[in-house]
Amino acid sequence: MSKDAAFVKRLKDVSLKDAAFGELLDVYQERLYWHIRKMVTTHENADDVLQETFIRIYKNIQKFEGKSSLHTWMYRIAYNESMRFLEKNNKKRHNNIDEVSESNLEVLFEDAYFNGDEIQKKLNTIIDGFKEKQKRIFLMKYFDNLSFRQISEILEVSESTLKSSYYTSVKIIEEKIFL
Amino acid sequence: MKNSKENINRKNFLEEGLKTDISKHHKKYLGIETPEGYFAKSKIAILEKLKEEVQEKSIQEKKQLVFWLQPQFKYVAAASLVFIFALTIWLQSANNTTVNKNNIELLSFSDDSLIESLLLEDSEFEAFADATLINEIVIKAELSEQKIDDLFLNSLFVEDSLIDNYTENTFLETIIL
Repeated sequence: MSKDAAFVKRLKDVSLKDAAFGELLDVYQERLYWHIRKMVTTHENADDVLQETFIRIYKNIQKFEGKSSLHTWMYRIAYNESMRFLEKNNKKRHNNIDEVSESNLEVLFEDAYFNGDEIQKKLNTIIDGFKEKQKRIFLMKYFDNLSFRQISEILEVSESTLKSSYYTSVKIIEEKIFL
Repeated sequence: MKNSKENINRKNFLEEGLKTDISKHHKKYLGIETPEGYFAKSKIAILEKLKEEVQEKSIQEKKQLVFWLQPQFKYVAAASLVFIFALTIWLQSANNTTVNKNNIELLSFSDDSLIESLLLEDSEFEAFADATLINEIVIKAELSEQKIDDLFLNSLFVEDSLIDNYTENTFLETIIL
């Protein structure tokens, strides 16, 4: 039995679930937080979504069938929770998608937990200018260190498309960052 | 010289990747950070929220164990209500039949039986006719017989000088009225 499978078994066992879940938090809390934070922009939003994500993981662990790795499955839940949060928020605030995109940067730069210099602001601006999917692909690969295969499972996009999108993004950043 | 340094910087900018701590990596490139000690506090908050969720779930399950919320009880209660409702309707219709019978008998005792007969339903007419016949033949005959008996008994108490007058008046009342 693989390490992953043994861990999942403990998570599914009612008597061991709580202890195993504590360990799961130790390993994945920080990674999932950053994954979420880049999607929902502010720390406050990320905190809420992170809680919801782990509650969903706890409630649904019995349904985990092992078709993907536990790691990918949790990222997928975090991704879906973030998307749900954004949809709910966007409905509340705006009807125009372009407006949301613009205000995302404003919200980020005004966040109490953003402390970026000019280069960091510029990188954020370049990434924010990407198309939605291209942005997700770049952030997942470069910042979350997910493999193309894992990203492919989360976003349901072919690996070749992912690679092409990612390397295009890298090129664009490298060209624009010091201009 | 400056241009070649910039070119090197550009090429190296994203090369490092995630080799260091993930939080440092985000801070270095994107300038985003978390409050101090956030992850320790967040872990406690998540575990507490989970505890609350589990407790809430167990309370809901306990609530469902209360017998009147169980589905079996709902079916029994619904069946009982239907039975009581049906019983009420059945008893009411049974009482109505008795009332009708009583009504027909009362109507047949009335003086204007012909007029009363107009108010009856076709289905009730036969019962009304029977009741009227019994009333007319048996009961009224019985009553007039009793009146004649009373007449003779009373005549015993009337003085001889008045007897002719009394019998004459009473006979007239009994026979004619």
